[in-house]
Amino acid sequence: MSAGAKKRIMREYGECLADTPPGMKINFDEQNMTKWEVLLDGPDQSYYAGGHFKLEINFPNEYPFKPPVVAFKTKIYHPNVSNDDKGSMCLGLLRPDEWKPPNKVVAVLRLIQTLLIEPNIDDAIEPSIANEYKENRKEFEKSAKDWVKRYAK
Amino acid sequence: MSSPEPIPPPNDRRGSRASSNADISVQDGNGVMVGGPPGSPSPLQIRASNSLNSKNRRRPIAKQPPDVHLLEYCHTPDSNLVCLICHSPFDKPVKLLCDHYFCRQCLEHAWAAQQDGEKTCPTCRSKVDVDKDLRPVPRIIETMLDELVVKCPNSKSGCDWSDQRANVHDHVMLYCVYTLVQCPSYDCRLHISQKDFHKGCLHYTVSCENCHTSMMMKDLEGHQRTDCPGRSTNCPHCSAEVLRLDFQAHVKEACPKVVIPCSGAVLSCTFTAERAEVASHQETCVVAKLAPHFQEQQARIERSEARLEPLSRRVGILEDGLSNITSMLYPANSEPSLPLSEPLDPTSLEAFPPAHLTAASDFRLSPNPFPSVPQNDVPQTTQPPFDSQIHHLLTMHDSLREEVSRITNALGELDGRTNMMIINESQRQKDEMLHTNAAINSMRMQLHWLMSATLSNRNAAGSSTARASASTAAASGSANSATRGASASAGLGNRATASATLHAPLRRLSDSTRQDTKL
Ligand SMILES: [Zn+2]
Ligand SMILES: [Zn+2]
Ligand SMILES: [Zn+2]
Ligand SMILES: [Zn+2]
Ligand SMILES: [Zn+2]
Ligand SMILES: [Zn+2]
Ligand SMILES: [Zn+2]
Repeated sequence: MSAGAKKRIMREYGECLADTPPGMKINFDEQNMTKWEVLLDGPDQSYYAGGHFKLEINFPNEYPFKPPVVAFKTKIYHPNVSNDDKGSMCLGLLRPDEWKPPNKVVAVLRLIQTLLIEPNIDDAIEPSIANEYKENRKEFEKSAKDWVKRYAK
Repeated sequence: MSSPEPIPPPNDRRGSRASSNADISVQDGNGVMVGGPPGSPSPLQIRASNSLNSKNRRRPIAKQPPDVHLLEYCHTPDSNLVCLICHSPFDKPVKLLCDHYFCRQCLEHAWAAQQDGEKTCPTCRSKVDVDKDLRPVPRIIETMLDELVVKCPNSKSGCDWSDQRANVHDHVMLYCVYTLVQCPSYDCRLHISQKDFHKGCLHYTVSCENCHTSMMMKDLEGHQRTDCPGRSTNCPHCSAEVLRLDFQAHVKEACPKVVIPCSGAVLSCTFTAERAEVASHQETCVVAKLAPHFQEQQARIERSEARLEPLSRRVGILEDGLSNITSMLYPANSEPSLPLSEPLDPTSLEAFPPAHLTAASDFRLSPNPFPSVPQNDVPQTTQPPFDSQIHHLLTMHDSLREEVSRITNALGELDGRTNMMIINESQRQKDEMLHTNAAINSMRMQLHWLMSATLSNRNAAGSSTARASASTAAASGSANSATRGASASAGLGNRATASATLHAPLRRLSDSTRQDTKL
């Protein structure tokens, strides 16, 4: 990774510190600055309220020309998060063809937060959960809260 | 170069090479290939690579220019000046047709992954024609970028310089002592900051004596100053915590509990106590207050004495030269008694303290004229040996001046006399010329008369033959030559004798006139 890209990540970290979305905390390791650990509280107005989620943001070598890779380390019942060990997320500006170099990590963090409140059904990675969210909201709410209790306390 | 007929220069070179080194084989077919077996590098190549190496060696100041993208800014820059790709203020920005601005380098990075002809603006994804759509940014943007205040890129090493970004290149390349340069050691390929360059190669491993970590020598001081866990110690005197590195300095200059003497010790104050007490003692100690002045004077005296040494040597040299001149001027008198030192010594003894006696005894020239003049008026007027060199010179000057004025007078006199003589002479010449003119005039008159007489004679003859007329013409020709002072030719009858008799009185006439003017 080029020195310029590292510099940009440093600057972005500075920006995030000054302007972290509420309920988020970033653990930043200067020795390994391409891997951020984000601690996220489930937003109050969402089904995930009370949960504490751990995310990982990995910056590829080509950053900022390739998007950062976001993964939920804590299991979460969500149509836009893959239901496996990876917990990967791939939508909106995180898609390689959607990503533009001027995008910032703060925007990514905001996107995640919005998605917790309002999942994006049209762009779901888990169609079954998306279906459930659309047609059986009660059941979805129950599973989501159940997972929060089980994994995200 | 593969032509069978090589052009002269390589041919010459090959010749000289072959003559200078018989071992070198020359492949004649090529005419250029010079050197050993084909596998080995040619001498030219070796020389080229050597010279490259030595050039690198001789220029240890091969510094890296600062990367503008990595600079630290002292203030948060205006967001309008920040490149959206690198998140730093623009470096050599360009403008796209869509009015989006990027660093040139950032754009190149962004486009590296894109196919030719499919380059897009990283912000708005509008198509960009690389050859046509890159525009320079407005001048004011460049100016604002140049004026951003940045820190020195070596600030982590300790440089606290900060100034406008436009100056950072010069600072790093010319002035910053923390800029890395190549290690001065011949076979060390590492870098070292410029301020340590003169210390030689510091790239060897040492072990920190406090924590036993091993590191490069060049990092040791920084480690002991900031990183070493055992870097500080408690002063045994005042139990304050100080860096081990600074401990000596602390004891010597700062520790309040160390016992030191009063600074007036040089002037015989015997007070000795802990530093803090001494400080309060020095408030009242008169000698301590005088001590700095005393030391200053002392230093000044030492400086003066140091200066005196070469000066006295120079005076000695001048002295020698002077006595040489004296002996040259008065070979008889100067030798037996040195006339200069005699009247001087007593005065010099009075004028200087004994400490300077040695220096002063050589010192004969400068104080001399003033004390010696009132003492003895008589020798001033006497002939050499003079009591002083200057008097002698003055006298000589005066006599020279007299001589010059005498010569001037004589010259004037001579001039007048010469003028008179010239006037007289020219007057006489003029008179003589007048006489000559008169004589010529009278001669012309006589000639005229003679000619007319001849003509009338011929008319009177009337029936004379052609031969007679021819002889008349010859006679008139010979008469002409006779007037020019030539002797008349004989055998032409009475007419020729007539011309001769005419000539004689004329001659006499001119002689008499000359005698007139001479009288
Ligand atoms: Zn840039
Ligand atoms: Zn654009
Ligand atoms: Zn500097
Ligand atoms: Zn070295
Ligand atoms: Zn140490
Ligand atoms: Zn102390
Ligand atoms: Zn004292």
